[in-house]
Amino acid sequence: MQDAIVATDRKRTAMREFTPWLIALGGFSFLPFILGPYWLNSAITGLFYVMMASSWNLLAGFTGQVSFAHAAFAGIGCYTTGILSAKLGLHPLVGLPIGVALSALLSLGLGALCIRMGGIYLSLTTLGFSEIVRIIIQNEYEITRGTMGLKVPFIIGPYSKTTAFYIMLVVAAAMVWTVYRIINSDMGLRFRAVLNDETAAQALGVPVMRVRVTAFVISGAMAGLAGSLYGHYLLLITPHIPSLDMMFHVLAMAVIGGLGTLAGPIVGAFLLEVLSEFVRQFSDKYHVLVFACVALVFARFAPQGVVGLVASWWRQATGKEGAQ
Amino acid sequence: MPLTSESVISFGNGNGFQAGPTACQSGGRAYYLRLERMPRAMEDLLLYVTNGVFMGTSYALVALGVTLIVGIMGIINFAHGEFYVLAGYFSALFARGVGLDPVSSMLVAVVLVFLVGLVVERILIRPTYGEEMYSLIITFILYIILQNAYLVIFGPFPSKPPSWVSGATNLFGMFYYGNQRLASFAAAALVIAVFMIVMHKTWLGRVIRSVAMDREMAAMLGVNTARVNMLSFGLGCVLAACAGVILAPVFPITPTVGVGISLTAFVVMILGGLGSLTGCIVGGLLLGIVENLGVAYLSSGYKHLFGFVILILVLFFRPTGLFGQKQL
Amino acid sequence: MKLWRVCALLVAFAMVCLGMSSPGIAEDTIKIGVVGPRTGGAAATGTAFEEGIALALDKINADKGLLGKKVEVVFEDTAGDPAKAASGIEKLITKDKVVMVLGESHSSAALAEIDVANRQKVPFIIAEAWHDDITKKNYPYVFRAGPCNSGVVNDSIIGFVKEYGFKKVAIFAENTDWGLGIKDLAEKALKDAGIPFETVLTERKGQDHYAELNKVKKFKPDLILAFVYGVGVHYLLAQAGEMGIVPTEALLLEGAGPPSLWDTFWQNVGEYGNLELFVSRMHEKVMLTPVAKEFDAAYRKKFNKAPSDYKSRSIYDVLLVAADAVKRAGSTDSDKLVKALQGTKLVVCSGTVEFGTKKGSYAYHQWQPPMLIVQWQDKKQVVVYPVSGKTGDLKRK
Repeated sequence: MQDAIVATDRKRTAMREFTPWLIALGGFSFLPFILGPYWLNSAITGLFYVMMASSWNLLAGFTGQVSFAHAAFAGIGCYTTGILSAKLGLHPLVGLPIGVALSALLSLGLGALCIRMGGIYLSLTTLGFSEIVRIIIQNEYEITRGTMGLKVPFIIGPYSKTTAFYIMLVVAAAMVWTVYRIINSDMGLRFRAVLNDETAAQALGVPVMRVRVTAFVISGAMAGLAGSLYGHYLLLITPHIPSLDMMFHVLAMAVIGGLGTLAGPIVGAFLLEVLSEFVRQFSDKYHVLVFACVALVFARFAPQGVVGLVASWWRQATGKEGAQ
Repeated sequence: MPLTSESVISFGNGNGFQAGPTACQSGGRAYYLRLERMPRAMEDLLLYVTNGVFMGTSYALVALGVTLIVGIMGIINFAHGEFYVLAGYFSALFARGVGLDPVSSMLVAVVLVFLVGLVVERILIRPTYGEEMYSLIITFILYIILQNAYLVIFGPFPSKPPSWVSGATNLFGMFYYGNQRLASFAAAALVIAVFMIVMHKTWLGRVIRSVAMDREMAAMLGVNTARVNMLSFGLGCVLAACAGVILAPVFPITPTVGVGISLTAFVVMILGGLGSLTGCIVGGLLLGIVENLGVAYLSSGYKHLFGFVILILVLFFRPTGLFGQKQL
Repeated sequence: MKLWRVCALLVAFAMVCLGMSSPGIAEDTIKIGVVGPRTGGAAATGTAFEEGIALALDKINADKGLLGKKVEVVFEDTAGDPAKAASGIEKLITKDKVVMVLGESHSSAALAEIDVANRQKVPFIIAEAWHDDITKKNYPYVFRAGPCNSGVVNDSIIGFVKEYGFKKVAIFAENTDWGLGIKDLAEKALKDAGIPFETVLTERKGQDHYAELNKVKKFKPDLILAFVYGVGVHYLLAQAGEMGIVPTEALLLEGAGPPSLWDTFWQNVGEYGNLELFVSRMHEKVMLTPVAKEFDAAYRKKFNKAPSDYKSRSIYDVLLVAADAVKRAGSTDSDKLVKALQGTKLVVCSGTVEFGTKKGSYAYHQWQPPMLIVQWQDKKQVVVYPVSGKTGDLKRK
């Protein structure tokens, strides 16, 4: 009897928790019917950034490791499937898991190499790694076509933005769901323990190193997947995907949306996509500058991000302190 | 034994050293006799090493600033290269636009960048103390902002302060090396020497190093650590600015050169060991020489890869760098 | 209930999207799109394009615009990145509803853009992206009223090398699409001509070229072909001068042009700029057509200086070609515009534009403007090739 009550209670909470997400997802799935081709393109790009920022957030927001190799992993993913499909004629769907596996493998190697040394080392080494990836892609132009970009086939079937949108939507939703499951599992508990107090966590028997490397590998694999899908949507893979510029966009989105929250990177990604379209209407020259200024203001004055701000504003407005 | 130039040329048989007309321009004929016996390969090697030492000194100078800030504040300044660029622009602006002489325009540029550094520390960095992640993120965003702001303010064209000297000198009677490079090399070495003396022999240096070694202890002994932080951030920017004004006459400044400068500085810093000033100097020279030899004997397209590869190797075999940590 | 709020936000966002996707108000202007780099490493080209666009619009709108409407240009930044370029041109076509797209100076970006233009069936005239493949694909909607690599290498550079009897040529190329592409063509042409050559590659972002230059020096060439863009040219020239290679042992021919004409060129290279050669579409004294004179006067009047980067004139020319096509087509329908473009015979700054119409090679929908090879002699530009346009003799030391 008691158990049953607890169970229904849990079910109800879960329902309440997921309903807004499902509504949002449902709303999103109607976008192709509303948006013209141009805005659909923005929405797809937004979804790509949702994947990138969410998976980066798993690392930075939940375990406190600022990696600059995230864009590089996306690049490794997309160049792997791209080269396999463009040069060997493999179907992108076959190449995709290979690309993801390679990203995961390399992130395992990189993670094992630099995570034990912590914060600054990790950031600098990942930065170095991302430069290595860029230099190799640029120099091996006979395979990668360098700055010219590699022409690749569409993900599946004939080219269609709507198809691409739904594929990206499903994968992005699955990715956010995975992140949610991870942070609400034992592993997530460990992540947070490591984030809050590394020494204490270690003393309590949390294998800090293994936890961090796991987070690093999962996030690297997700970046690889996001990059591959995006590359096959663009039909063209260029060194822009594994670039510091891309890294900056991902970082800015996560920071503006709110690090360490599930919704933060999603809100941040779409907010910046819309903002970028908005800025472009005035002058094309300044959009990166405007982005960066907004990101700086958030990082300095509102590190909790838009989601955090809205939440605290809502709490004040409704007078419900600590509703959740 | 005096030699006529004809005898030198015939002795060399045309293969021993480079084309006659240039080699004969300078004096120092007495060298030639020895050099002709030197294989051409050695001559090349000497050029690569010389150039490596010059580049390495400039790398070391840039990296010292990053290392100082890391050693004391535990913060990576991603915008380091942007301070270099700012100083380069300032010195060009004051020399060409305002009409100051090169030396005072350089001094003004360095002082201005120092002030900018203090302001940045006060407004952006100070609130993030103890939050390593946010300081990283903030300086990374700052780098993007500055780079794009330079493009808007200074335009995309390269700009260069006047050279201090012109022409080239025949070094060791073997190859020509730009005089401005030699002058910049001397200036960079001088700045490094002065900085090392300040850090090791003066009261200021001792205070700064005490904070790097043990912040709590230094605070207990009455050191105002917040002020030391601000000062060292400023000093780090000064080192970037010195590098900027010294190297701008050799390598004209564009809005986007900063990122390459920062990346090189990071590689050098890790090579030497985070926070080790001596390590920085050795790491810089090492990187400069390795890059030049790599271009010469391996591949010129992969020039910038060599540094990163050594970096990964060093991390793998000797994670604390060549000189270990915290020897500020 | 934090998540409800998130949901509210997302709904709000969707509504914003909805609002933005609604069609705009009725058009009373003819919109022409321009693509080019306004940020990033080649942002200087964007500045030159802006100048050229302003002058062309002044001219076109002073003639009462086109089809009774004013002409407006929407300039989209590509930052030199192919993916950004592809989405940029898509935006111009689907959102801004431009009737034609012009411009571009990066081959990599152009190769991505032509696919979009062709798919969306909107005419695209390229001004300054030189890769052969752009017109070699024979896309019906893609034109180029500007140089292509094969034309520059075979007609101008190799012609120049043969004309003046250079014996050994060193090729110094950056590792980008442009540098590598034009390097391959030059190597092939030199091989066919039986002239010994050696190639040295360099990193695009490199500043110090001493080690690479020492390799060049060892080869003892009498001509260096430099396929490096932007400030790289200044670095290269100054360092080659310091090492005693130019101009005493060899002359340096720069394959792009504009960087040798930038305001800061002399400041950056000093005395070593003397006797440098560069490929150019423009020369201060050579006015190929009356339009060129008109452009020169208008430029000086509007910007209070002499035109330096010839890319301002390239985009100006292309805009005139586009305006002429709209006028002759009498409509903004894509297929009519293509037909009109194929029949173009228009005098612009750098000659009379006529597009090739024979399919099967890069010459299809291509018009190669005459390229000049200019030498700096005591800070004066002297045209040394083609021989018919010579304003002075080639000087060597």
